[in-house]
Amino acid sequence: MNRELTLTKAPIVEPECVASRLASPESGACVWFLGSVRGTEEGCAIRGIHYEAYEAMARHQFQRIFDEIEARWPIQSIRLVHRLGPVMAGEPSIWVEVASPHRAEGFAACEFLISEMKQRVPIWKQPIPL
Amino acid sequence: MIVRVQFFSYFKQLATEETLSLELQDDALLEDLLQRLRSRFPKLAELNRSTLVAVGMEYASPGQKLSDGALVSIFPPVQGG
Repeated sequence: MNRELTLTKAPIVEPECVASRLASPESGACVWFLGSVRGTEEGCAIRGIHYEAYEAMARHQFQRIFDEIEARWPIQSIRLVHRLGPVMAGEPSIWVEVASPHRAEGFAACEFLISEMKQRVPIWKQPIPL
Repeated sequence: MIVRVQFFSYFKQLATEETLSLELQDDALLEDLLQRLRSRFPKLAELNRSTLVAVGMEYASPGQKLSDGALVSIFPPVQGG
């Protein structure tokens, strides 16, 4: 399974991510997920979110999740980009691409990846006030 | 033995320092280290139930034995995405 993991302070440019789609002729499905920063946090308006990571452990934990996905579904490729540092409201904070033979495993693997990330990948949010 | 401790997110402010080194007995468990830290940083002790701990790159349980030079990371629940 192809794996690409990017933790970056640079903006996520969705059209560029999509244009560089990595799928083989056997990939019948490509699932994309884009997560964006909301303009409110616990009911209060905010400018954005500052993302902090323990990068070495975050990379390691993402790879463990990728291992589990590879063991569970016939996924051909996963690409994930997660922003670090300040991300303004409305901007993308995470982008995921999962390529697989059929849609069911692609959707399932993408959901699993996001859910597991939120449980164990050491990344934290700090709201940036208006 | 000497172990290194690092804090992340708002735990850095609660601990008032980002990293530190502590000397422990050679047979020390992770729980022994956590007790030392709770005594030293009472504000962290209040958040004991929502504290995650890793040794190296892996999450660890209090009964885990520590080794000389271990890097122990202490942080609140994660929030990626």
